[in-house]
This record gives sequence, structure tokens and C-alpha cells, in this order.
Amino acid sequence: MIKVQQLTQIYKSGKGIFDLNFEIKEGEVFGYLGPNGSGKTTTIRNIMGFANANEGRVTIRGLDCRKDTAELRKIIGYLPGEIAFFDNMTGFEFLKFVGDMHLMKSNERRDKLIDQFELETEGKIRKMSKGMKQKLGIIATFMIDPEIYILDEPTSGLDPFMQNEFMELVDKEKSRGKTIMMSSHIFEEVERSCDRAGIIREGRLVTIEDLKSLKAMKSREFIVTLNTKEDAQKLEKSGLETHAMGKRKIKVHVGENFDGFIKVLSALKVLNLDVQQRSLEDIFMTYYGKNGGQHE
Amino acid sequence: MNKTLFFASLKANWKLWLGMFLVLLMYISMLIGMYDPENAKGMEAIVATLPPAIVSAFGFNAIGYDLTNHIGTYLYGFLFLIFPLIYTVTVSNKLIARHIDRGSMVYLLATPNTRKKIVLTQAAFLFSSIIALLILSIAMGLLVSEMMFPGMLDIDKYLLLNLVTVAVHLAICGIAFLASCIFSESKNSLMVGVGIPLIFLMFRMLSSVGDKLSGLKYLSLFSFIDVPKIFSNPGYAWWSSGLLLLMTIILLLISVRIFDKKSMNI
Repeated sequence: MIKVQQLTQIYKSGKGIFDLNFEIKEGEVFGYLGPNGSGKTTTIRNIMGFANANEGRVTIRGLDCRKDTAELRKIIGYLPGEIAFFDNMTGFEFLKFVGDMHLMKSNERRDKLIDQFELETEGKIRKMSKGMKQKLGIIATFMIDPEIYILDEPTSGLDPFMQNEFMELVDKEKSRGKTIMMSSHIFEEVERSCDRAGIIREGRLVTIEDLKSLKAMKSREFIVTLNTKEDAQKLEKSGLETHAMGKRKIKVHVGENFDGFIKVLSALKVLNLDVQQRSLEDIFMTYYGKNGGQHE
Repeated sequence: MNKTLFFASLKANWKLWLGMFLVLLMYISMLIGMYDPENAKGMEAIVATLPPAIVSAFGFNAIGYDLTNHIGTYLYGFLFLIFPLIYTVTVSNKLIARHIDRGSMVYLLATPNTRKKIVLTQAAFLFSSIIALLILSIAMGLLVSEMMFPGMLDIDKYLLLNLVTVAVHLAICGIAFLASCIFSESKNSLMVGVGIPLIFLMFRMLSSVGDKLSGLKYLSLFSFIDVPKIFSNPGYAWWSSGLLLLMTIILLLISVRIFDKKSMNI
């Protein structure tokens, strides 16, 4: 449905995106993962037809994203990564403005979303907090009920409760058969509802994987704090892959061997057990092997 | 044209518009009120107290003393140029460049409207609002003159003078709007969009100070508002207005094209 072909856009700084090729299928939720500054937003700017690519193109249902914009905008809902509104408007005036620009016929969906996200629509946008602005942006995108969603870091600025609320909204749209592209630099966000994810780094597409294979790649690591030094030594000698982080604090790489890990722990006095937070970098590391020698 | 956007732009800019209109109205009433048909010397006396360089810079050189000349000299030398100019350059920048700079342009471009439609709507607002500002001010000038000094204003001459003035303002508007479409950063758009019209205004003022600098008038669009020439030669008023309008249209077409083809990092 969304087809990115040989897409290249290079900025004066030499950064940019280089020869991107991928396709997003109809009804799919596609995660677009990459660290900050990796080219996610540049890709999206080209999908939205804001920027001119140096080479290549993006098409949606065969229509050119840069040229057939008026036609495509009827079916696309876009949530910008850095949201800037018309700051002289109130939240409500802004939603009304966007709705009118999209020739939205009914306000029912809009009002339901306002309730769901507990948005206060009366105040001037310029005085809203970052989270409040993000909610406003989400409502402005979802209320027009598009067929395709292009969401650039949609949950940034939201508190965990609202993040959850948002992910439920995405799941609901997915079940309604909508096509969704969602960029993020947080794996967990993509993990929850995406079917496939593309990983971009320094402007190049590293891989496109099913979420299942990506999950398998996640390094499963726990940080165990033990009561005594002796217990710590026992854990290190247990045959598990360990890495001492302090006298009684040990990182254990568990992999798939949960059972073995639990059995070893059961003989020890464990004071604390933490799940190691996995960053995108870790996933790159897993993908490329520990030394990361193939990064460039 | 997109009505929703047009009214949003109206809502964002009407306060400045009203401010400029009220300032103009104040100066129009004040300066017309200062005309004294019995004793025009009173005005000359005021002028005489000012340093000669300032008198000529602001176009206060007396050129005969009927009401029409009085208006042409005192209003169209500076005041009727600077206040519409402030409106033009501020609003031009706000309509395009500032939206790109801030990123709010996203919310215009992500709607089912072509870029051409967006830029033409913004241009339509800019041009219609400046025309409304000028025409209302011109009408107020006429009204105030007729109320204070019935029958003394040479309406034909007054309208010719305003024809050229409106045409100059439209061309300036074209320049400021083009700057707004070219530059993606507000500060650059303002530098060029404000800079060029201000330089024009400065050149016009400097060129009337002394012979040495009189050549500068060829470098300023405001020099088209040549009051003695307009009053003595109506043909000049018509062809110069035509020329300025043509220039405005060309500037506008270039602006639309540039905006349509532009790569935006928003």
C-alpha cells in the first residue's frame, strides 16, 4: 500500500536518508524504529510530501506522495513529531479548524475522543503543557477517521496512563482494518501493537522484521542483588552467563533459559531482581553481534 | 481559495489591521485638520521650525497650498507609506514563513488542499486586507476633507494620487510575500521582506534631502508616488500604476510556484 522506493534525501550536513526501500501492507501496523536523528522524521516528511527527495519516491495506492497530495490527504491522518499549532487558538478552535479544513462531517468522533483523553479544550494552546498538546494533536489526527495513520513518535509527552489509552486506540483502529505507520525510539511502544517493524539507523534501513523475530532478539537480562558475597559467587559459578556489577549485584544474561535461571536463584537469598531495560542500542547489538563491528 | 483558512488568517491578524487603521485615521484627521485655508502660513511656520533636512526627508516641501497639495505633501510623504508597510511586512511573514518555521504549516498541508490553494488563500487574505486598509483610509480622508472643508478637495487628483499609492503598496506586498515563500526561517523572511521595503523608504527620504543623493530615488518603488508629477500628469499616474500592478502579479506568480515546489522540513 505504502511503497518507499530508493528514497534518498541528503541534508547539507551530510545527514539524511539513503536508498530506503520498504513497503507497508494494507491493514498492517508498521513500527518504524530508530534512535533520535536516525532519519525517521525525514522519511515521514517524504511520505507526507512535505519534503523533496533527492532520489526515489513514495507512493500510496499508486499515487505519488509529493504530487497527488490533495487526493492522498483525504485518506491520511498525520500526527507530527514536533507539534506546533496555531497558538492564538484555543484547543477547541483548533480542532474545529482542522475539522473544517478536512471537511469533516460529524463531530461525534471528535467529542468522544475529547472525553476519552480528558482534554480541556477551553484554554489557549500556547498555555498548554506538552502532554496536553500531544493529546490535542492525537485527537486532531484520529477524529478525521482516516484510512491510513502516519504517526511520528505519538506517545512522547504522554503519561503512562494516557500512553496506555493511546495504545488501546491504536489497537482499535487496527481492528477496524486501518493501516498504521508509527515511528518510535522505544521498542516497547512498537512491540505492543505492531505486526512488523523497520529499524533505521544513520539514515539507512538496518532491517525489517516480524515483531516475533525482533522479540526473540531482545536480550533477556536480569540484575540480581544477593544477600551475601558467597551467594554472589555461587551465582557466578552456576554456569549462567553472568557479569558482576558490584560486590553482590550481578547481571545475568538468561536468553531462553528461564527455568535454569529460576532453579539457580531458588538456592540463593535474593534481595532484589530487576529486569534490565533494553534500549534500541541493545537490539542493534543483538542484531549485529556483541562487538557491533558491522554498524557502518 | 479555502474559506476556513481565510477566516483563520483574518482572526489571527485583525487586531493589527485595526490598529493600523486607527493610527492612519488619527493622522488623517489630524493632518487634514491642520490645514488652514485662510492662513496656510501657519503650516509653513511650523515647517520652518524644523531643520531643512528633516522637512525634505519627510516630504514636507511645500508645493503650493491648496488642500489637495497639503494632503499629498504631509500624508503621502511618510505616514501613508509607513503604516500600511508595517502591516504588510508583518502579516506577509506570518502567513507563510512563520508557519514553516514553527512547524504549524503541517496542519495546512496535511489537509486535502493543494499547496497552490493554500498559498493562494494566504495571498488572497494578504492582498484583500491591505486593499481594504488602504481603501477605507482613503475614504476616510475624503470624508474628513469634505466635512471640514467642503468642496475644497480636488477629488480627481486625490484619487489619482491614491491609485499610485495603492499600486506601490501592492508591489511592496508582492515583495514581502515572495520573501515569506522563499525563506523557511522567519528571521530570513523578515530580513528580506522588511529590509527591502525599508531600504526603499530610506532611499526615498534620502533622495529628497539633497542633490547628491537624488539618484537614490531610482532605486525605490516609493518614488513612483511623485506628488507634483501625478497632479500635473494624470497619464503618468495610470501607466505607473499599470506597471506596478503587472509587477505585483509577476511577484505573486513566482511566490506561488516557489511555495508549490519547495522542500519543507516540517
